[in-house]
Amino acid sequence: MEEEMVKADVLCVGGGIAGLMAAIRASELGAKVIVAEKGNALHSGRGRAGNDHFETYIPEVHGIDMEAWINELLRTAKGETLLSRDIFRAQFAKAFDIVKLWDNWGIPMKYKGQWEFAGHSFPGHAMTHIKYAGQMQKRVLVNQALDRGAEIMNRVMVFELLCDANGVIGAIGAHTRENKVIVFQAKAVILGTGKCSRLYPSLTPGWMFNDPHGGVQTGDGRAMAYRAGAQLQNVEMPERHIGPKYLTRFGQATWIGVLRDPQGKPVGTFASKPDRKYGDMIMEVNKLVAEQYTQSGKGPLYMDCTGMTEEDHEYMTYWMKHEGMVALLNHMQEEGMDLRKNPIEFATYPMRLGGQIVANAQAETTLKGLYAAGDEAFGDISAAATFGWVGGENAAKYAQEAEAPDVERGRAKIEEKKQLINQLHGREEGPDWEEANIALQQVMYDYVGSVRNEALLKQGLSHLHRLKEKAYTTMIARNPHELGRCLEVLNLLDIGELAFLMASDRKETRALHNRPDYPFTNPLLNQFHTVQDIDGKPVIQWREIGR
Amino acid sequence: MPPIIDANKCTGCGRCVDVCTEDVFYGSKEGEVPVVTYPRECVHFDCCIYECPVPGAIRLRIPLPAMLVYKPTDGE
Repeated sequence: MEEEMVKADVLCVGGGIAGLMAAIRASELGAKVIVAEKGNALHSGRGRAGNDHFETYIPEVHGIDMEAWINELLRTAKGETLLSRDIFRAQFAKAFDIVKLWDNWGIPMKYKGQWEFAGHSFPGHAMTHIKYAGQMQKRVLVNQALDRGAEIMNRVMVFELLCDANGVIGAIGAHTRENKVIVFQAKAVILGTGKCSRLYPSLTPGWMFNDPHGGVQTGDGRAMAYRAGAQLQNVEMPERHIGPKYLTRFGQATWIGVLRDPQGKPVGTFASKPDRKYGDMIMEVNKLVAEQYTQSGKGPLYMDCTGMTEEDHEYMTYWMKHEGMVALLNHMQEEGMDLRKNPIEFATYPMRLGGQIVANAQAETTLKGLYAAGDEAFGDISAAATFGWVGGENAAKYAQEAEAPDVERGRAKIEEKKQLINQLHGREEGPDWEEANIALQQVMYDYVGSVRNEALLKQGLSHLHRLKEKAYTTMIARNPHELGRCLEVLNLLDIGELAFLMASDRKETRALHNRPDYPFTNPLLNQFHTVQDIDGKPVIQWREIGR
Repeated sequence: MPPIIDANKCTGCGRCVDVCTEDVFYGSKEGEVPVVTYPRECVHFDCCIYECPVPGAIRLRIPLPAMLVYKPTDGE
């Protein structure tokens, strides 16, 4: 198998919003930067088709101090996310500068010449998000990165970090179109690899790419960070979302309507008619509401935009295009559906895992030379952009001081991974990635799903271990594309395994982690639940949250 | 299945093949009308359509399991 060696000061893994912002800032500071993206950075990541909300604090607009504004932000679902206040402070001290940068670069951050605040906020309270026209945001960010001299390598899936005793020295990537391994020598690595899709079944049984995150975000960053010895946290904590059924899409705050029951009664208390400024905040308060209504015999629930003005309809359609909902708009048109007349059903989307790579407000992980930003650390667009930038800055500064690493110290690991790839390519028959992925989804859903107990977790983990063994010894890849998918499944298996271990260790019920054998939330566990590989063993510990 | 290419309009420029992050067009040949090798991996974000230089040369068909559910208009 061909091996290509590439050297950089800073390697950005993933060309989403965080990775590109890191590349832009690190290049600007003079670092030699490479972005390795397994798809194409023009349309990759969670922002691939656009976004329309950016969380930002603007002192002169809000007229309250940042602490009071953060309190408003924490009234929403964000308040449950077990993040330290220091992170929010760091983000919002910087986010508005990023907004102005993006606006200068050509991502329209204003609407009709003004900052337009709408959505994600309670009526009568401080607004937290501006609307922006992000449909082509990725193109702008790619061009900014290229203009500053960063190199973007598309179709390269980085799947393993290389380390020596001092920290990170590089990474191994597989080309997803050619039979080739790329070894990166880098002084610093930034993981901007997104969330973890395809671990649980999607809304459509057996159709795993009906996922608003897309299909390629498979927790690669957190899986390789863990294997390299970095700390992860709260891996077992489930997340749910709410949106249109069955074409899954984010953008709950882009809808101008009221969530209503079949009789037309509003489900929440925040909206009684379509309102372009506030939408319906019930979805921010309880994303499970659609599932709960259906299960209790009171469903289905509808997003009801009927009665909206023509101006509001035009306004909502404009923002839907920017929020990556063009396919949904076209589908409605083709089906003769009109939101001014037809309420559309909303569903609570299936479980997925939250959790993060542990990173501080400097975007530093617990492993020297390794940084993390975006959904791998603290999600949403504003955080991805801000901490991507911060991470790029710190990685570039770190690289200036660091000695050139000798990537050959990772030779044993490189050869081990090349052998794995040769085995996946070399087998004539066996399960393909899809078969292995479905088997994994099944065990996750049944054994570390919406109800968890010790016996289920123990049984599920033993089954997952057998699946993992099968995946390593029998899975087949018929070409480089399928090889990438196989490597994704192997990463998902690692994350799944950690979810079992951590769900078992979290002996309480909290948020969507439901343990009937430990039915109460333990206030002593208002902490980060961390896991780290120490001498080949997962070591799980609790760490205080700075509130 | 997901992206549908009108062979009469497609110029074979390969732009859609280039930008699809899921790589549903894997194995398409340069200069030819792209093939949809992995239709089930389409995530329906329209990125191929954003980038296609010929209006109408490519469109998405939303698969039946992803059809939207809605309340019919009174009388329908």
